[in-house]
Amino acid sequence: MAKEKLIIPGAQQTKSKLSKYQVQKQTKSVLVSIFRYVLLISVGYIILYPLFALIAYSIMSRTDLLDPSVVWISKTPSFNNFKNAWLGLDYLNGLSRTVIVGVVSAFIEVISCAVAAYGFARFKFKGNGFLFALVLFTAIVPVQVIAIPLYLNFRFFNLFGLTGLIGGIFGNPEFVFDLTNTPLTFYLPSLFGVGLRSGLFIFIYRQFFLGLPKELEEAAYIDGAGPLKTFLRVIIPSSGVVIVTVSIFSVIWHWNEYFLSVLYFNDNLPLSVSLTQINSRLSSLGVTFETQQGNMAAACLLFMLPMLIMYIFLQRKFIQSVDRVGIVG
Amino acid sequence: MESKVIQIPDLDKKRRVKGIESKKSMYGRMFILPWCIGMAFFFIIPLIQSLIYSFSTVIVDPGEMSTQWVGLDNYKTILNEDPTYTDNLISAVTSFFRSLPIVVIVSLILAMVLNQKFKGRTFFRAIYFLPVIIATGVVMQLLTKNLNGVDAIITLSADTTNTYTSSGGGGGMDFTTILNSLRFPEDITKTMSSLITSIFNTLWSCGIPIILFISGLQTIPEQLYEASKVEGATKWEEFWYITLPMLAQTLLLVIVFSMIDLLTSNTNPVLNQAYQYMNDSAVYDISGAMLWLFFAIVAGTVGIVIFLYTKLLLKRWS
Repeated sequence: MAKEKLIIPGAQQTKSKLSKYQVQKQTKSVLVSIFRYVLLISVGYIILYPLFALIAYSIMSRTDLLDPSVVWISKTPSFNNFKNAWLGLDYLNGLSRTVIVGVVSAFIEVISCAVAAYGFARFKFKGNGFLFALVLFTAIVPVQVIAIPLYLNFRFFNLFGLTGLIGGIFGNPEFVFDLTNTPLTFYLPSLFGVGLRSGLFIFIYRQFFLGLPKELEEAAYIDGAGPLKTFLRVIIPSSGVVIVTVSIFSVIWHWNEYFLSVLYFNDNLPLSVSLTQINSRLSSLGVTFETQQGNMAAACLLFMLPMLIMYIFLQRKFIQSVDRVGIVG
Repeated sequence: MESKVIQIPDLDKKRRVKGIESKKSMYGRMFILPWCIGMAFFFIIPLIQSLIYSFSTVIVDPGEMSTQWVGLDNYKTILNEDPTYTDNLISAVTSFFRSLPIVVIVSLILAMVLNQKFKGRTFFRAIYFLPVIIATGVVMQLLTKNLNGVDAIITLSADTTNTYTSSGGGGGMDFTTILNSLRFPEDITKTMSSLITSIFNTLWSCGIPIILFISGLQTIPEQLYEASKVEGATKWEEFWYITLPMLAQTLLLVIVFSMIDLLTSNTNPVLNQAYQYMNDSAVYDISGAMLWLFFAIVAGTVGIVIFLYTKLLLKRWS
């Protein structure tokens, strides 16, 4: 705007032309912004659609579901579905298990991946490139491919062969642990940086560390700090942004984890597993319920609720963290 | 930079630098050592084991498991005798390679729109990041698929034999019914509904790519655009000569991420079939072969894509 004002006094005769140009420009910008809002709102509708559908279903009674005139808004809303879902999910127990297994594992992963990624980003050593290619490889392999050996690994866990040695001393060389049904099935891979989608997190961290100025560390080295101390005192405090992003991703993915949980847990089910079994559980409890869809929708909402609350609270921070330094350095 | 100012005798300098370098490389190994151990025990060994299963007969006794090498028999079985596997494989592979570019392009466009300055930007962004919560897990599976005998909550495609579609009632919106009520010819209805399904699926898997792209777009310095404006570049040229090259790294990240996402998505018929074998009847050899064949095809192509991308594009752009 300021530029145009500067030009106008110099060329009085072309004023009408300029205003025509301005009109053109204005209509163009109005059209662009209309197009933008139409696009954003329609795509936003598609994105929010499952959430709307869940909410609509969760308060519908049986009569609503059978009534063709009911599309979105229930005529006889009832909150029975939520009551049933609460019971069928064994909500509070399931919630605490999900937190103990998933959220703790997520935070372990956030730390271990940062350590590994720092090694990849800042140190030159033989095989760095090859090992980093392996990181990407671990990220691409679907967990289903290695699920069965992993399960057996935990079912007959021998601490990398160490328990055999110890057991041998006590005369039982086939001494193994059964780690299934314990949170260790998630903690151990997370601890070693090969947990849920760790490959992706190492990649994100590495990109971020590569973008950090080297002067930061050089200053610390000159002050006599070793690499570990530098990492803890200099690098970690200056990467809050990427840590927030990775934490949010990791917590959400652990929360939604289903495939491995089904494999590892028989009892003490986390929420994601009991969610899929809610109707059979309700039947076995002898609870009469109105519709399976309604139960399911209410249960889904209850399941997502903690994540939605977390998202609402952290949303501003999350978007800022995406905005600022950016994940990709 | 300091070395230019402070002159150190050559030999001394070399020795000192080498000392620091080797020390540094040792520290580097220390940092990735835990990861190396973990990768060996929780990734490489299970991977090799599952490969061995796919070439053997696995007999499961209670508490014990024995394998017997049978060579390519499992692969022959799934390719020649299994009636559905080849179809599943073809549809999984084609949908993988069809969805990948669409997801990448659509999320790039949406990210560029969301990156502009306009009213309500934060609001829209908050909405657009939501699929990260909803669409990454079991909820989506429950919404779109019949699981454990419960009907899907949302019906999108015409081919699902859904009980309450016929009963006519129901919450939400049923696109097939709407399309049917418009009385189009059946072919059009079918294509439309499959188109709608794919639009929905694509947009739901765009959440994280959009985030990655926006964060990449934020790192592009504003001066570049100002300079190009002064030089008289059009928007189109700006996109090709500034935005895209500056996003090269992000693009790679998005491609890698979308590949993982599509590969492990719950709509993948090969994974579902193998999973059924594993879960319902504890058949680990056949299911292993199913997964490995699919995975080998995809990994090979993906490797080529990444290789070409880094060799050709990244070099040209940087």
